[in-house]
Amino acid sequence: MIRDFLKTLVSNRKSLAGICILGFFVMAAVLAPLLAPYAPKEDKTVRIVPIGEAAKTEERIAEEYPSDSEDLLTYRSTTVVEYQKRITYMPLKAKPSPQHPLGTNQAGHDILSQLLYGARVSLSVGLATGLFITLISLTLALLSGYLGGVVDDVISFVTNVMLVIPGLPLMIVIAAYVTMRGVMPIVLILGLTGWPYPTRVLRSQVLTLKNRDFVRVSKALGERTPFVVFREILPNMISIVMAEFFSASMSAILGEATLEFIGLGNVAVVSWGTILYWAQTNGALLSGAWWWFLPPGLCIALVGTSFVLINFAIDEISNPRLRKR
Amino acid sequence: MNGGYALELRSVRKHFPLRGLMARGRFVHAMDDIGFSLGAGESLALVGESGSGKTTTASVIARLYEHDSGSVVVDGEEIAAFRSRAEALRYRKKVQLIFQDPFGSLNPTHTIRQILERPILIHGLAKGKDELEARLREILEQVGLSPAGEYLRRFPHELSGGQRQRVNIARGFAVEPEIILADEPTSMLDVSIRMGVMNMMLDLKERRGVSYLYITHDLAGARYMCSRIAVMYAGMIMEIGPTDEVIQGAVHPYVRLLKAASPSPESGLARTRVAAKGEIPSLIDPPSGCRFHPRCPYATGGCSAAVPALRDIGGGHLVRCVLA
Amino acid sequence: MSDQAMLEVEGLVAGYGTKKGFVRAVDGVSFRLGKGRFLGIAGESGCGKSTLAYAIMRLLRDNARIESGRILFKGEDLATLEPEAMNGRRWTDMAMVFQSAMSALNPVLSVGEQLTDAVHAHRKVSRPEAVDLAVEMLRLVDINADRLKSYPHQLSGGMKQRVMIAMALILKPDLLIMDEPTTALDVVVQRSIIEKIDDLRKELGFSVIFITHDLSLLVEISDELAIMYAGRICEYGRSRELFDCPEHPYTEGLMNSFPTLSGPIVRMGGIDGHAPDLLSPPPGCRFAPRCPRAEADCSRVEPELRDLGDGRLCACPLGGRARRGGTR
Repeated sequence: MIRDFLKTLVSNRKSLAGICILGFFVMAAVLAPLLAPYAPKEDKTVRIVPIGEAAKTEERIAEEYPSDSEDLLTYRSTTVVEYQKRITYMPLKAKPSPQHPLGTNQAGHDILSQLLYGARVSLSVGLATGLFITLISLTLALLSGYLGGVVDDVISFVTNVMLVIPGLPLMIVIAAYVTMRGVMPIVLILGLTGWPYPTRVLRSQVLTLKNRDFVRVSKALGERTPFVVFREILPNMISIVMAEFFSASMSAILGEATLEFIGLGNVAVVSWGTILYWAQTNGALLSGAWWWFLPPGLCIALVGTSFVLINFAIDEISNPRLRKR
Repeated sequence: MNGGYALELRSVRKHFPLRGLMARGRFVHAMDDIGFSLGAGESLALVGESGSGKTTTASVIARLYEHDSGSVVVDGEEIAAFRSRAEALRYRKKVQLIFQDPFGSLNPTHTIRQILERPILIHGLAKGKDELEARLREILEQVGLSPAGEYLRRFPHELSGGQRQRVNIARGFAVEPEIILADEPTSMLDVSIRMGVMNMMLDLKERRGVSYLYITHDLAGARYMCSRIAVMYAGMIMEIGPTDEVIQGAVHPYVRLLKAASPSPESGLARTRVAAKGEIPSLIDPPSGCRFHPRCPYATGGCSAAVPALRDIGGGHLVRCVLA
Repeated sequence: MSDQAMLEVEGLVAGYGTKKGFVRAVDGVSFRLGKGRFLGIAGESGCGKSTLAYAIMRLLRDNARIESGRILFKGEDLATLEPEAMNGRRWTDMAMVFQSAMSALNPVLSVGEQLTDAVHAHRKVSRPEAVDLAVEMLRLVDINADRLKSYPHQLSGGMKQRVMIAMALILKPDLLIMDEPTTALDVVVQRSIIEKIDDLRKELGFSVIFITHDLSLLVEISDELAIMYAGRICEYGRSRELFDCPEHPYTEGLMNSFPTLSGPIVRMGGIDGHAPDLLSPPPGCRFAPRCPRAEADCSRVEPELRDLGDGRLCACPLGGRARRGGTR
């Protein structure tokens, strides 16, 4: 079954394109140290050049212990080297050049390197958040869909309330109060605001499956509830769970970029969103410095597109009627 | 004592409450005063059109639902809510349910081996891998799927409809039950396949000595499979008795209508017009008194006032009609 | 027996293209239908009967097509007709009642609107005239005129089916093709629909092609019967005679697959095996792998539909008389 699944994923042209794009970015992120010409926050190059020969210096007697039979003398010798340290500061807000294919930002950081290292953060936050959301929503969906009754009523109520609350303002409010450093807060914020929609979708799927004959047969045979949920229902949900994972990851990447763009993320961390933030605050849009804001925007868009393309194939897997004859 | 019946129902009632603001206090009257008995090794057909309550009856006997009142007695024990898992397992081993949709009844992500293993493992019917393997092969051979090895490793979508249904039946028999509830087992199969499956079920019954409750809308099929028939209409049993007594000697106007409407080319007679009026009533607001009275050509004033009782007209033939 | 043929199908081949090749769902079918006659086409799923119906109506889907053969309707070959001309024939001369009529009705339009739509699509009549036609048709199928404003979900299954029939007959066609019209209905409703069709046939004089897998039903209601298997007709004849003396082993097997409501209860044979894959049908006679009387030649030579005289056609060279009645 997994083999069929992977085969369909690869044979479908759209998802193949999606996988290639995603793969490209993942490779770029993984190989960032090798591919990036500079470190992301490097704003100067330092060259140290020794001058002249190493000059020897005097010997000095440091300690002396004379005696009749033996003299013990300790000498100390120091070598002096003269050298030149040349610190070249990287140009600030530079246009693209051979040294800096995408120019530099306001602190002289090379934008291409930022892009490559930023990929790590953006992709990992996006996928981690996607995973987080998927796990929460799957758990809630299974509980609420299968158990029904009061559990279902409570979870559905909470879900519906959360759905009504506008996502972005909520994210902003939470982000304004969070004081943790790093990117973890973003994962949490996005996760806690992004679970309602997938929960609803997965819950309907659980309900549909619950009423399928083979689940009723399983119960009639005496199968225990956890078994029914994990052996009968869950395997039939794999494709829709994966689709939700990719959807959630896409919204996470966009959401993360959004939060960082408006400055609510941690602006010290280098990610596509923060690049955009710095671009915006430094007037890149106004001055037309397209090499600054276009590449990160494009990357975000491409990664999002790759998820959507992969989801096309997953749609076809779950709904065989969409498959081309 | 129960008189040695494998299964006995007495005055079973099951109403499903409707949910929602507009539907407070309204029910789906799926089963009302349902009573019949099924002896060991016997087969009883539950015949009815859609909305007759026959599937709900099977679900209640299989304990997928709890009945509201009345008693369901299996092997002399009246069943109520299960108090322990052991009790539930014991019951599920005795009573098995086979559904009509051959594809929907099999989990598409499981192999046939996985599907057939579960019941055997849940009920601890095999000690060790060898015995499990032997049982799997045996049951597949008995339903006509051989060589068993070929089928065990396949997925449901790789089998034909008839083969899937045989797997379903094999699964039902794998726990060695006493009672099999078969809900329209052949109605979704191709015509030329049906007879093979029906004959296989008859053979299995002979060999294993199980009792069948055979649910169907097809009167001729019921006649072929079972020695006794109960006809249900709108949640109630209208007539019950030995097969040909009920079919050839039908008393209830609905049963006569059903017989007249069912195809019977072998009789060679020109068909009389049936010209039935009305339709099957909704179970939410069934007609008062006898539920068939709005459509019955013989209905009198009293028919809408009170529900007639099931009356014995001799030879184990009971009819719920004032005409009896 | 009228010899004025309403419809003559000759060597029709139709099917659909798949990744693995062209599947001939209808592989050389020929039959005649007289005026006002009731022809039943019986066969199991996958035998091509639905494709045949859609081919005659030229309603095949995009990836399906008529490969060869002729469909002579009142002398005119429909297979080669221009789409425009075919549109003109459809519904006015021949109409169809589809399988699962429940879903063939548009859920957001009222019954009246759908009926008048059918009229307006083919005739230039005024609104009141169309409504009158609709009311008349509903009356013919025993539905009250006040149902004109009802929506499909407000009607029962049987009523929806009768609306479909009214819609099909509204322009008084000469041919009505019905594709499994009663399969999803209960027994009693099914019988009432069948009786209604018969009444309407006598009143309006159209011919009927009734397609179903329920052979026992067809024997009782049709004048002639064609039995299809794997894209071909294997036997054709008057219904009652076909039932009493089937010549083709498949027909015989089918007759032996329907339990009886009267007479002695005996074990019946049924048919072993399952229908062949039409992408690569077995060589020679397609029924040979399942046939209890198959001989060596059966898998080598493709049998022709032979005229046995007296209106009976059979595609089995071995056809021996099989008596019904006492020996069952």
